[in-house]
Amino acid sequence: MVTDNLTPRRRPWGTWALGLLWAVIGTSALLLLAKSVQHSSDFGRLQPWILLLNVIGVIGLTALIARKIWQLVSDFRANVPGSRLTARTVSTFGALVIAPLLVVYLFSLDFLNRGIDSWFRIEVKQGLNDAMLLSRAAIDVRMREYGSRTEDFAAALASVPHEELIRRLNEELRATDASEIVLFDSDQHVTAFSSDNPLEVAPAAPPRDVLRQIGQHRPYVGIDPQVGGQYLIRVAAPLSESGDSADRRYVYAVYEVPQQLAKLSERVQQTYSQYGDLAALREPLKNSFRLTLTLVLLLAMLAAIYGAIQSAQRLVRPVQDLIAGTRAVGKGDFGTRLPLPSRDELGYLVHSFNDMTKRLRRAREEAWRSQEAVERERGRLAVILARLSTGVLAVDRELTVRMANEAAGQIMGVDLAQATGSSLPQLAAGKERFSQFVAALVVRFAAGREEWREQIDLDGGSDRRALMCACTPLVVEGGERGYIIVFDDITALLQAQRDAAWGEVARRLAHEIKNPLTPIQLSAERMRRKLTANMGREDAELLRRSTDTIVQQVETMKQMVNAFSEYARAPDMKITSFSLNELVAEVVELYRSSGSRVQIRMDLDPRLGIIEADRGRVRQILNNLLVNALEALEGYDSRAIVDISTRLLQTEDAEWADPYVTSKPRGTGLGLAIVKKIVEEHGGRIDAENRPEGGAIVRVTLPLRDSTRAAHSHRASGVRPAARKESLG
Amino acid sequence: MYRGQGTTPRQCASMRVRSPWVMLAAGCMMLGGVLAVADALDGVLQVRSAFVDLDHSVFQLHARIDYPMTPAISDALRDGVDLIFDVDARVERARRFWFDSTVVDLTLRRELAYHTVSDRYVVRDTATGDQQTFATLDAALQYLGTVDGWPILVGPQLEAGARYVISVRAGIRRGHLSSSLRALLFWTDDWSRVSDWYTWSLTT
Repeated sequence: MVTDNLTPRRRPWGTWALGLLWAVIGTSALLLLAKSVQHSSDFGRLQPWILLLNVIGVIGLTALIARKIWQLVSDFRANVPGSRLTARTVSTFGALVIAPLLVVYLFSLDFLNRGIDSWFRIEVKQGLNDAMLLSRAAIDVRMREYGSRTEDFAAALASVPHEELIRRLNEELRATDASEIVLFDSDQHVTAFSSDNPLEVAPAAPPRDVLRQIGQHRPYVGIDPQVGGQYLIRVAAPLSESGDSADRRYVYAVYEVPQQLAKLSERVQQTYSQYGDLAALREPLKNSFRLTLTLVLLLAMLAAIYGAIQSAQRLVRPVQDLIAGTRAVGKGDFGTRLPLPSRDELGYLVHSFNDMTKRLRRAREEAWRSQEAVERERGRLAVILARLSTGVLAVDRELTVRMANEAAGQIMGVDLAQATGSSLPQLAAGKERFSQFVAALVVRFAAGREEWREQIDLDGGSDRRALMCACTPLVVEGGERGYIIVFDDITALLQAQRDAAWGEVARRLAHEIKNPLTPIQLSAERMRRKLTANMGREDAELLRRSTDTIVQQVETMKQMVNAFSEYARAPDMKITSFSLNELVAEVVELYRSSGSRVQIRMDLDPRLGIIEADRGRVRQILNNLLVNALEALEGYDSRAIVDISTRLLQTEDAEWADPYVTSKPRGTGLGLAIVKKIVEEHGGRIDAENRPEGGAIVRVTLPLRDSTRAAHSHRASGVRPAARKESLG
Repeated sequence: MYRGQGTTPRQCASMRVRSPWVMLAAGCMMLGGVLAVADALDGVLQVRSAFVDLDHSVFQLHARIDYPMTPAISDALRDGVDLIFDVDARVERARRFWFDSTVVDLTLRRELAYHTVSDRYVVRDTATGDQQTFATLDAALQYLGTVDGWPILVGPQLEAGARYVISVRAGIRRGHLSSSLRALLFWTDDWSRVSDWYTWSLTT
């Protein structure tokens, strides 16, 4: 039904073949019928074939109609579009055609019966019978007359001598209307004969009927119709009346019926025969007319029904096509093209439909192209967002995630790859840092703030993060409003700023403090050297202690200044390849041999091989960590680990590595700060946390290869663990 | 004398190639009840015997035919209906790998009528115009059922060594019907009937 061809619908070849077959059958039947009626001898031979052709035609037509009706009923039951209209049209057409046909049929039947009956009126039949009887009576008179005369002549001839026989026969022939008089003996031999035909040399033998009658010695009188309407009266009479007589001769005479009488009788005979012939056809004619009329009626009805079905289907087919096409369009098939049924109004409608689907298809193709462009842009945007180190999060008003890039998950420490469509609070459940972030968003949205840019600090225990967030309203899919939150982890940036500031402070402090320390120390030593000799013992002792104190404190201040200088020193990395395990063992062995009562236990991973780092600085990290641990354990027994951790992390969690943050009475607060600085210079990461069972863990993460140091050094977070050293204080 | 070789008419009919379509048509006719009228020519219609003899290189056919004799026929004749009695004779040359060729196809046609005025049955040869009258229908049918010395073939028409099949059949039908009447009576005309073929072989 749906095709791309816009030419008018063509009939299927099967219909043409059926029509051709029908025409061939009909023509053949007509030709055979014509031949059979022209050559009556062929009638019997051709009649079965004619009947066969007609039966085939009727069966074919009936089968076609049955198939059509079955299809119609099936479509009606299945509620096929257009079936009800077809059924209604067929019913209407059928009723309009069948009713007049039936009326004409009934009137025709009655007319035929009456007409044919009127042809054979009983008065005509009676008149013909009377005429026939009259003719027969007239001829009977002649027959009796000739019979009687012949019998008399035969009786008279019995005593006539043989020589006189021919003469008497001639006299009798002349005296009567006889055409021939013959005298036969007992052996059927001609004794004498007389004929009015002078060319006749011998008479013809009498018919068997005559011989049979004469054989019984009884006279015979009979009439014999001849070709051409002539009648012959044949009379035979024995010469002796007694059957016992020895004279078995008989006279056989042939008389011609007078021409006028014969002519009239023959006319009566012909008329009687023709009437009888027609009368015999009375019932067959009526039956033939009835059958013919009935067959014509049936054929007309079948043809009318078939035509009605065909017309209805042809009328409804474009409507069905339109319905199917509309459904196809409704399902999104804009390529639907309906065949043009004709050039009429329905054709115009179908053409309009095709035009509409054509426009729809073009519009959809344009929409597809636009959508593909949008998808391409979205893909590019997704790639860009994925490559961004800045977290991007799109949510609707219900805080359902519409989009989140990879950096957002990394910053929040959660996997947001499959988070689209999930509720943000649900995703944040159980995740401390992410929960704080979501809570901060909720607070701001609840306050009606839709566009803002602020720093949000997330307190994740030892892992504090500072995020620079920017939020702006956004129209998400479906016209719903939402938010897009862009945030960046600026923890490292802040730390770097802080470190830079501390470095600057340390550098200036060292510079400002270091300069006067040497004159102070020299002045104190000179003062002790110059004044001690001139003073009393007690004063000298007091001076000596004071100057010693000054020198000692100056020295201490020098160390402090040097430490500050060391902290503020610009990084000068000397990257080499070495075994971290060997370095750790070497440093630990140094402290073990120092006589400390603290027991140091190593747990090295043998899989850790060669790393690329500044060996001296890594050694400094290990030294500082071990010194801090050993100093923290001073004055405590092995059970005081908890206290150590308390002392180590009694400051704010995230500030334990800041400069000048110390809990020791003589500490500068620069040990762990320097460790942290060296780690970060390597692109690594350091964090510490208390253990629930006591003590603390300082976790240092360094990159294995120097090539990743530069890439990792600018990102404080998200460093892939490469080497891990755990130090138990 | 060349007589049939023991084949009955029914067997001969079965030997002939009869189109199944004709039988189907007859079946359809009966099933359809189109021809509800009883057959007026009901009764025995058969070629009882037939043979040919050779007389001075002329093959003469002799046949005995049984025609039906029913009251319907008698009444129809007395009412003025004429009947045509046909005797068909066919000689075909049998060919092994092809259809048989027809050498002779003749029809002896005679007309039987009842002459009311003279109360006699008239048998007329439609070819020669000769006629015979009979006092009774039996005598007329007996005359019609006797075919003697009907020349159907001459010697030169036959090829030596060939096998020929001679077939004879008889038929009755109504005569003197105009074309229009015959067309009208197409469905109900039961005054037409033919016998089965009576067939025998002739080898020269």
